[in-house]
Amino acid sequence: MTRQGVDHERRGGARRGLARSRLAAWAPFAVLVLLCAVITGFNPNFLSFGNFVRISQASMIPLVLGLGATFIILMGSVDLSVEGILTLGSVIISLLVLNGANGNDLGVFAVLIVLVAGGVLGAVNGAVHVRLKIPSFMVTLGMWFVGVGLANAILGGLAVRINDPLIRGLAIHRFLGFPWGVWLSLAALAIAYVIQDHTRLGRYLYALGGGEELAALSGIPVARVRIATFTLAGIFYALGGVLAAAQLGLGNAQIGQGRLFTTITAVVVGGTALSGGEGGVLQTLVGVLIVTVLSNGMVLMGVSPSVQQAVQGLMIIAAVALSIDRKRLRIVK
Amino acid sequence: MNTPAYRGVSRRRVIQIAAAGAIAAPFVARRGFAAGTPTVVNSIRSLTNPYHATWNKGGAAFAKSVGADYVTLVTEGNSEKGIADIKAVLAKTGGNCVINVDPNDSPDARPIVEACKAAGAYVVTQWNKPNDLHPWDFDPNYVAHISFSGVPYGQAMAEALFKAMGGKGGIVALGGIQSNVPAIERKKGLDAALAANSGIQLLDYQVANWQATAALEKTNAWLTQFGDKIGGIWAANDDMALAAVEALRADGRAGKVPVTGIDGIQLAVEAIIKGEMAGTVAWDPYWQGGMGLSIGYHAKTGGFDPSKEPKDHREFYGKGVVITADNAQSFYDSNIKSEPKLDWNDIWGRCNGQIQYS
Repeated sequence: MTRQGVDHERRGGARRGLARSRLAAWAPFAVLVLLCAVITGFNPNFLSFGNFVRISQASMIPLVLGLGATFIILMGSVDLSVEGILTLGSVIISLLVLNGANGNDLGVFAVLIVLVAGGVLGAVNGAVHVRLKIPSFMVTLGMWFVGVGLANAILGGLAVRINDPLIRGLAIHRFLGFPWGVWLSLAALAIAYVIQDHTRLGRYLYALGGGEELAALSGIPVARVRIATFTLAGIFYALGGVLAAAQLGLGNAQIGQGRLFTTITAVVVGGTALSGGEGGVLQTLVGVLIVTVLSNGMVLMGVSPSVQQAVQGLMIIAAVALSIDRKRLRIVK
Repeated sequence: MNTPAYRGVSRRRVIQIAAAGAIAAPFVARRGFAAGTPTVVNSIRSLTNPYHATWNKGGAAFAKSVGADYVTLVTEGNSEKGIADIKAVLAKTGGNCVINVDPNDSPDARPIVEACKAAGAYVVTQWNKPNDLHPWDFDPNYVAHISFSGVPYGQAMAEALFKAMGGKGGIVALGGIQSNVPAIERKKGLDAALAANSGIQLLDYQVANWQATAALEKTNAWLTQFGDKIGGIWAANDDMALAAVEALRADGRAGKVPVTGIDGIQLAVEAIIKGEMAGTVAWDPYWQGGMGLSIGYHAKTGGFDPSKEPKDHREFYGKGVVITADNAQSFYDSNIKSEPKLDWNDIWGRCNGQIQYS
């Protein structure tokens, strides 16, 4: 769980600093436990199995999106194209599987097409960012609108109902009490974890986030790593699109609204630093759970709708404040 | 990206225009004759939502019926862009146009109306305008303002829901963005229905910002909190209602707990036919998109003199269509399966009283 930054060993003698930052890495987890305890105090139903299932359902899409975003943020970039790629993915899947608008019935093959489409958009993100040297913020902002715009052009503002039992089954049919979509998102988490900890790409990501010049000087193919990472992220967002379409049973151009905010919040609240080089996909799992448990809990505790948003904002600030190791920060932007 | 006037045109429309152009090419001389016909313009929020997409179709159908050039402007939620695009069209057509606008925000209506008056164009506004801006203060160019009161329809849906529940039990309610006028009005209608039905208890009211995703989350949490106590779900629009149905479906209860929405989108009507929703209200955006233009067009081409019309023709509530299991199939057949057939000359047919400002 405690993946630390590359530059820790730099401060050799500061053993106390190390202990402090290890503690900080556990802070999001502690926040999650505390949150669960408080909500249970108000409403014991929170701990029911049915509610676990509902929280897992609410978490599956933010988790898959968060995995992609974690990789990007680990290398110190940012990706705003989450909603664009997700929306396009959900619209494509809704038109390729058994649906209410045309005669297609591609089944699993459609899912593959959507993942490839997501990968292509991600690769374009990465290639434009690296080759044309445009900041990732701007490239992905553009790709966000390109994705939503294409989805719009395809559907002309209408919604398409999905009738494919396989896709709908992701949200409805269950294995060991949890919907298949939840298992799929956990599989995505496992894959992301392997990429992060057991592949060269994963190592390079941390190196890039820790210090790109050093990484380049030590022979890491920076451009290739960046493009590969954006491609990977695109695939995860497209998978999120498949899950979103499965959950609502339809594809439309509005399906992505508000998801970018949840994604970035979950990644950062989980303890992955926006400056790059520190954090990881397991932290993102904790972050996602904090965000979904909080919004589930506020309804259970009967918090008035008008203050819910404010509570969410305070929560973000508090979680990040707890997890930052201030000793190592010299500059705050 | 810099040609917003044509951004809203769908692919089908492009093909139609291309085909029309190919057919019309030998008759170029006749185009000069058509130059006297005013251009008809719809300015709407976006084409991403079914509501405004249908609005646009109605506008295109009206334009075709009179052989006028048709332009769609899209604000994308940006007031500045909305006003600038309208000014661009006024300049391009020299004021020889009719504009039917759903202003992005209430204050936008004033500069739009003033620009139209200055250019000699005719304008009809819908939904949003400041309370103290009246068509009769800008005779004859500001032809009419059309709106829909949310109160009676929010109430009608609540009544339909209670009826489907057998008149007793607990309900939960999903509201739109808290500061939106339609959200406030629809909630007011719900409250009125609750006051009149003592057997029904409102378990909780949550704001889901008109969005399906938020509605799904809220409904999931309610299923934990209230479980079987939920006898019905009232939602302030169809997107949220359909999401509530999906949350129920994941719980194995779709079709067992009645849900109502408002707006009358296709998927909601289908859900009513399937028995998963208990009701919705169709505003008929097809009518709004076409008739708004028709009213302006008739005024512009001398069909009537706006300054001689009574006030309840200048600032009026339109009529919504309440859809329940009783009429869902017939509504589907005549409005969704086939292109609606409206008499564009029946311009005052859906006047439902002068708008009241409290």
